[in-house]
Amino acid sequence: MSSGPLLEQISLKVQSGYVKEVVELIRLGLDHGVDPQNILDDGLLRGLDELSVRFRNSEIFIAELLQASKALKVGLDVIRDRLSANSVSLHGKMIITTVEGDLHDIGKTLIKLTLECSGIEIKDLGVDTTPAKIVESVRIYNPDILALSALLTTTMENQRKTIEALKAAGLRDGVKVIVGGAPITERFCREIGADGYATCASDVVDLVKTLLTEK
Amino acid sequence: MIIIGEKINGFIKKTMEAIEAKDEAYLKELAQKQTDCGAAYIDICAGTMPDVERQTMEWLIGLVQDTVDTPISLDSSDPQVIVDMMPLVKRPGLINSVSKEAGKTETVFPAIKGTDWKVVALTCDSEGIPDAAADKYKIGKQIIEEAAEYGIGLDRIFIDPCVTTLGTRQDCLVEFIGAMKLLRADYPDVQFTSGLSNISFGMPFRKAINMQFLSLAMYEGMDSAIIDPISPDMQAVMHAVDALMGKDEYCMNYLSAFREGKFGK
Repeated sequence: MSSGPLLEQISLKVQSGYVKEVVELIRLGLDHGVDPQNILDDGLLRGLDELSVRFRNSEIFIAELLQASKALKVGLDVIRDRLSANSVSLHGKMIITTVEGDLHDIGKTLIKLTLECSGIEIKDLGVDTTPAKIVESVRIYNPDILALSALLTTTMENQRKTIEALKAAGLRDGVKVIVGGAPITERFCREIGADGYATCASDVVDLVKTLLTEK
Repeated sequence: MIIIGEKINGFIKKTMEAIEAKDEAYLKELAQKQTDCGAAYIDICAGTMPDVERQTMEWLIGLVQDTVDTPISLDSSDPQVIVDMMPLVKRPGLINSVSKEAGKTETVFPAIKGTDWKVVALTCDSEGIPDAAADKYKIGKQIIEEAAEYGIGLDRIFIDPCVTTLGTRQDCLVEFIGAMKLLRADYPDVQFTSGLSNISFGMPFRKAINMQFLSLAMYEGMDSAIIDPISPDMQAVMHAVDALMGKDEYCMNYLSAFREGKFGK
């Protein structure tokens, strides 16, 4: 059978967040010999890509993106065993955290969820994370991008300190660093030598995709 | 309802612009209007760069005290800044806020020991903001017990059970209310407060969610809120809920607030 219409259906059902239908369609595809990699790329991930464009255009809301993301995750579980190990890393790997001294969680979590919805594999170190712990996690996890959140004028300096710590550990060149949070400006981002900055969840998706292409 | 008026906060864009422009008239008007609309405390948060936080705070405290007698709520993420500002404040006010994050209660509690200052306590710690009622309860209990060691009673504490966002967690109000119930079971006199706007982040028509959050939380016994009291929407909710809960005899407060044009104009 031609897999095109089926993959299109998977993409649409992911966008609607219909978990059960996504699973059924994937099983149907597998039964008919559709390549699991195609199911991932042209079904699941395409669905989320299209949805994240609509999120960027403010056509849909975070809750809808999360529902779709759940559909993607459940779908991925169905095909995970049949995919080669490295293709499951989706579009890229990231670490996200709020920096030391700062407990703000909401913006960071929203960014994390949004990026997950865009097919990024993302590790969340939580809040109030020391530069040393971030450096250690970068070393172990080897992400494409590190995202640092700071919501306080008193803690934004810890974004700089974290970047300095990465340099000292010789890890800075291997990872792109992006920063965000209410007090963060483009100027501050440049001043501390970060690779990018965004003001809202939808801009972060664009920023991350650009950085991943550059890599 | 104990209203903590939130408008003089440097993280609010218009207020930040007024602070930068040294627009005294605008900031004084915020203090006056919030008082006229029933604020029990005027919250002051400088919200600017750390190097000028102290001087901005000092200046704002002076402006507010020149304008109204309403007690002040000192709002900073740096507990030392709060403690250092206390002597400038003419009458005992409110500390906004402490949590189980390192250094907060340790700095603030000794400073307000033996005074009439009150304190907002957030149910979060260095691990972040817990989602589950039981975890919020645990932190709230720790803070209440720690306060008691300094002779700070429940009449001086407002627990803020840190509501999360509806768009990402649909159980956020359930857990918030669950935490209130758990704490109230142990401490019948405990008081609760909360800001309103976090809950609706990422959702359309946020006003609807904020207003219903306020009414549901009031119904469940929230004593206080950190809000914009000038907002007709907030005025309408607070007065309507009080009346509906049988706390407003002959609806006199609702009716006079309506006549004064506080809502429904």
